[in-house]
Amino acid sequence: MRTRLIIITLVVAAIALALWYVLGDDPAEIGGTVSPAEALSGDAEGFLRADGPKEFSFPEDHGPHPGYRTEWWYYTGNLTGEDGRRFGYQFTIFRNQLTPPDTAEVDRSSNWATNQLFLAHLAVADVENDLHYGAERFSRGAAELAGAQAEPFRIWLEDWSTEAVGEDTTPMRIRAEDDAFGLDLTVDPVKPKVFHGDRGYDPKGPDAGNASYYISFTRMETSGEITIDGETFNVSGESWMDHEWSTSALTEEQVGWDWFSVQLDNGYDLMYYELREEGGSRSPYTSGTVVDPNSNTVSLHEGDGELEVLERWTSPRSGGEYPIRWRLRIPGEELDLTIESLFPDQEMNVSVRYYEGAIEVGGTHRGEEVSGRGYVEMTGYGDGLGQPRF
Amino acid sequence: MTRSLWRSSMRYLWSHPWLFGLSIVGVAVGVAMVVSIDLANYSAQEAFELSAETVTGRATHQVRGAGEELDEDVYRLLRVEERIRPVAPVVEGHATIPEAGRTFQLLGVDPIAEGPFRSYASQDAGIELESFMAQRNTALIAEPVAAALGKDPGDELQIRIGGREHTLRIAGLLAAENERSERALESVLVMDVSTAQELLGMEGRLSRIDLILDSGDDEKRSRIESILPESAALERSEARTETVEQMTRAFELNLQALSLLALVVGMFLIYNTMTFSVVQRRPLIGRLRALGVTRREIWGLILGEALLIGVLGTAVGLALGILLAQGLVVLVTQTINDLYYVLTVRQLSVDAWTLAKGVLLGLGATLAATLWPAREATNAPASTVLQRSATESSARKAAPRLAISGALLGGVGGGLLLIPSQSIALSYSALFLLILGFALLIPFVVILLAGGFRPVMDRLFGLIGRMATRGVVTTLSRTSVAIAALVVAVAATVGVGVMIDSFRNTVEVWLEGQLQADVYVQPPSLVFRQADATLDGDVVATFRSAEGVRDAHTVRSVSVRTDRGQSELVAIETGPRTEGAYRLKEGRLGVWDRFEQEPIVMVSEPYAFRNDVAVGDTLQIQTDRGQRPFPVEAIYYDYASDVGAITIHRSVYNRYFDDEAISGLALYTAEGQSVDSLVESLRGMVPEGQEVFIRSNIALREASLEVFDRTFTVTVVLRLLAVLVAFVGVLSALMALQLERSRELAVLRANGMTPSQLWKYVTSQTGVMGLMAGLLAIPLGMILATVLVYVINRRSFGWTLQFDVSPEILLQAVALALVAALLAGLYPSYKMAQANPADALREE
Repeated sequence: MRTRLIIITLVVAAIALALWYVLGDDPAEIGGTVSPAEALSGDAEGFLRADGPKEFSFPEDHGPHPGYRTEWWYYTGNLTGEDGRRFGYQFTIFRNQLTPPDTAEVDRSSNWATNQLFLAHLAVADVENDLHYGAERFSRGAAELAGAQAEPFRIWLEDWSTEAVGEDTTPMRIRAEDDAFGLDLTVDPVKPKVFHGDRGYDPKGPDAGNASYYISFTRMETSGEITIDGETFNVSGESWMDHEWSTSALTEEQVGWDWFSVQLDNGYDLMYYELREEGGSRSPYTSGTVVDPNSNTVSLHEGDGELEVLERWTSPRSGGEYPIRWRLRIPGEELDLTIESLFPDQEMNVSVRYYEGAIEVGGTHRGEEVSGRGYVEMTGYGDGLGQPRF
Repeated sequence: MTRSLWRSSMRYLWSHPWLFGLSIVGVAVGVAMVVSIDLANYSAQEAFELSAETVTGRATHQVRGAGEELDEDVYRLLRVEERIRPVAPVVEGHATIPEAGRTFQLLGVDPIAEGPFRSYASQDAGIELESFMAQRNTALIAEPVAAALGKDPGDELQIRIGGREHTLRIAGLLAAENERSERALESVLVMDVSTAQELLGMEGRLSRIDLILDSGDDEKRSRIESILPESAALERSEARTETVEQMTRAFELNLQALSLLALVVGMFLIYNTMTFSVVQRRPLIGRLRALGVTRREIWGLILGEALLIGVLGTAVGLALGILLAQGLVVLVTQTINDLYYVLTVRQLSVDAWTLAKGVLLGLGATLAATLWPAREATNAPASTVLQRSATESSARKAAPRLAISGALLGGVGGGLLLIPSQSIALSYSALFLLILGFALLIPFVVILLAGGFRPVMDRLFGLIGRMATRGVVTTLSRTSVAIAALVVAVAATVGVGVMIDSFRNTVEVWLEGQLQADVYVQPPSLVFRQADATLDGDVVATFRSAEGVRDAHTVRSVSVRTDRGQSELVAIETGPRTEGAYRLKEGRLGVWDRFEQEPIVMVSEPYAFRNDVAVGDTLQIQTDRGQRPFPVEAIYYDYASDVGAITIHRSVYNRYFDDEAISGLALYTAEGQSVDSLVESLRGMVPEGQEVFIRSNIALREASLEVFDRTFTVTVVLRLLAVLVAFVGVLSALMALQLERSRELAVLRANGMTPSQLWKYVTSQTGVMGLMAGLLAIPLGMILATVLVYVINRRSFGWTLQFDVSPEILLQAVALALVAALLAGLYPSYKMAQANPADALREE
């Protein structure tokens, strides 16, 4: 009899346990995905377009150009520590307008209301150790979290910023810090600003509007600090700054670009890019600018340059086969350069992967041996076309 | 041998289907009540926790402001200047979607900052910033909700917030990753922080800032604390959830206790049934023992029967409980929504532990109730078992002894109640001891009562009446248990009934005094007893200067942080009639003279009770000027909320809080102005698209009482269930008793009693027992009511209630017992009147 009771008790307990197991809630985190509504304005409709040369006015044009969909302030540079140790850096703030200006909501009372999205990329290349540090930030361009203004010059995303040191736009101070690395640099142009393309109007395709406004400081004296893993290096060197804005720069066939900025030791600076089309062919909209030591410029057009890839490197992350060594010839300028990434892995591992690498340049210019430093940017090799540049 | 024993046992149960069936019903109803209340509470808790989890996400800490809100610049300070990450801004509120007919949690977020906190609301979940962030009044809702409403992304959705209507556009649908997420997301409206601010009128402010801090990172925590402005504070995310959960604890505990009361009643029924079946089979058991069946086998036999009843009753009880819980969860949710916070429970969560508890209680109670009868059956020597009269005479002899132990037990129970503890569990234990003690008194009292009844019955029904009354005493071993079961069951309904009545009357009297103004203006509030919405400033200005308005007082209610936790702070304006509206339980001299000027506060009685605050204590309240001390100078009676409130003068409040908002407006009419026509004309002044409640004094009182009644629906339902158990108890106990006497009745019939005399005999006997039970239930019911009103309610909610007994409840109790008793007599007397006495006389 007692055994029977025990058995019954056990059976009841077993049933209770089974119920517990079946009905017990899995305390997993609450998760979900969003299937969004079609954004109201997917295309360029309603935005301002870069559709022809225009009169710039400064310092206003150093500031933001709302109405254009995309804009960026882009700094790259090669720096050397006191002990000769080399570093590359990149600091970029992108402004993205989410909706056309005519659909912009007026009279919104919240400080958080905005159609401006800001992105920022920060990278430091530790050449000695072949290490590339990269970081990305996003923020809405509102509630004092991110923004851009011409006077006084200040472009910022949270605590990452570039701003005028004094009353003038330049010199500028760039400050940005991530968990493992950061920088605090002052950049001061040694040449006046350069207007690329046709007085700053730089077409990227056959249609009017497939273009951007493009201004650069091609050579900026740079000094300050770079921090890596808690170690601070006093550095100096040269930087390059681009400021570019557009609404729809690339045509549908264009899948990416290879862009170079070079500062030669004879005082010349060079910007050169090629747009690649599907299948790997070069788009006719290739462009460049040569800046002489006295800041006179020569614009380069299709056929002016010849870029040959000498070596490639495959990214273990994206699988993209990035070129890392090139021969660039610009016969009209008697320029014949070999360009090489300082080390292969300088891929920016951010929401849209691309390559932003410090480069070393050697070759001849007008018969003289030259060398130089610069940066290369390549998109469309890894996960498809990058949002960043054009 | 064992098998044939079992067969005899089964045959016995089978031949007494009424008895068997009603015992099962007794267990089933008891188990069902415990299980259903537990499930309803559990479901409400689950829903609350899930919704808290939904909006808290992985945040471990949060920064909150002094009141409900926080300056949004604190977020910039933390994120940009102090580089504290991860950190995310949150704007929270509630919105009703009329089409869905329910309230949603409105969650305003910055999708860019959300990733580490709530993955479903983050950029990574696939939110299109173009529509979500850059456009106004867009929101995400759960896919099933959209499907139920027939909406697609891009469609418009009407919502109501604080009485105002808004149109949203669905920017996307939230697809849950699993079933749990689906439940979590089905009551959320996710929107951009900008839209949420605009819809809730919270421009420039946030509800809170979420943070994730490592548990050991004290350095970071103190750094954050050091940089926060004085009005803001860092707290654990769970602290808030716990505070809210704490509010309903007493409410839930009391429901549980009431359901346990039903189980106790159920236990009495089982005890009755088992005792009865043992007593009835004494001759059989005696014969079996004489035949050599061991005590252990008899013991096993009785327990086996009990187990069978227990298992069947429990199984039915579980099913019934789940069914009942479906209805109860609605009532429980309604009460929580009326009294405490906004809660949507979309489905019943069946908790395995509750079911296990139901099984344990059902089987345990059955077996426990059987132990005594089983011992009775096995311990008696074989020879005396055969003699029925021995049992009865020993039962009569035992009656005084039982009465003494009953009195002792009751004394212990009463003593426990005198212990100055706040433990509700202790109070209920004492209550159960009192019930048990009273039950033990019953056999003795029945003998006394029967002596008193006999002459009355004699006069009414003659010999048959006398016989019927005597029969109650001569078969005391059976009747006393049955009567005790009835008494306990009926008394439970009396106790709860008197408690509810007392409560309601107290509230009614209090409302009478509290509502001194003529017209009350309130925005629609999601929780009735909380002013969680604010009135439009223009409306307030218009009303104040409206014709026919002599005077107006504003009320502002906010949630503040104090050194004793989160509390409701009510800022009032005073006038000549205010002193009359607040009945002080205790107060310093001249408190009203200082109230307007000095930083002092009054607290409600439940607040003082919950937080152990006395007049003369000082509360530290987090204000916009930092933490400030406020001496408590008075405690006032208040039945609006069991959570309690702190009351401060508006002019003092304004010195410490940067808050212009008004939660409610009380208007006094000018001389000769009719209240109804003022209400009418004020209604005409409310701008289109805005909902404002404008009610006269009388209408508000009625509305308040309506809500009061609604919040007691659960209790009333429980009481009705207890009535049902009591009824079943009366029926089963008395019917069994009469059926068992079929032989005795047959003898009477054979001796010449006519069917109609038999009828009279049976019904008058059950009637006497019912009447006894009904009468005895009144004192026990009063004891229960007293304990509920003066001890349990005080210890649970801190309320002083006026004890109030309506004669209806007492009459109802006696009638309940009597009617059930008479009904119970119907079937046996019918059966016996029909049967051939010769058949009944034959041994079974």
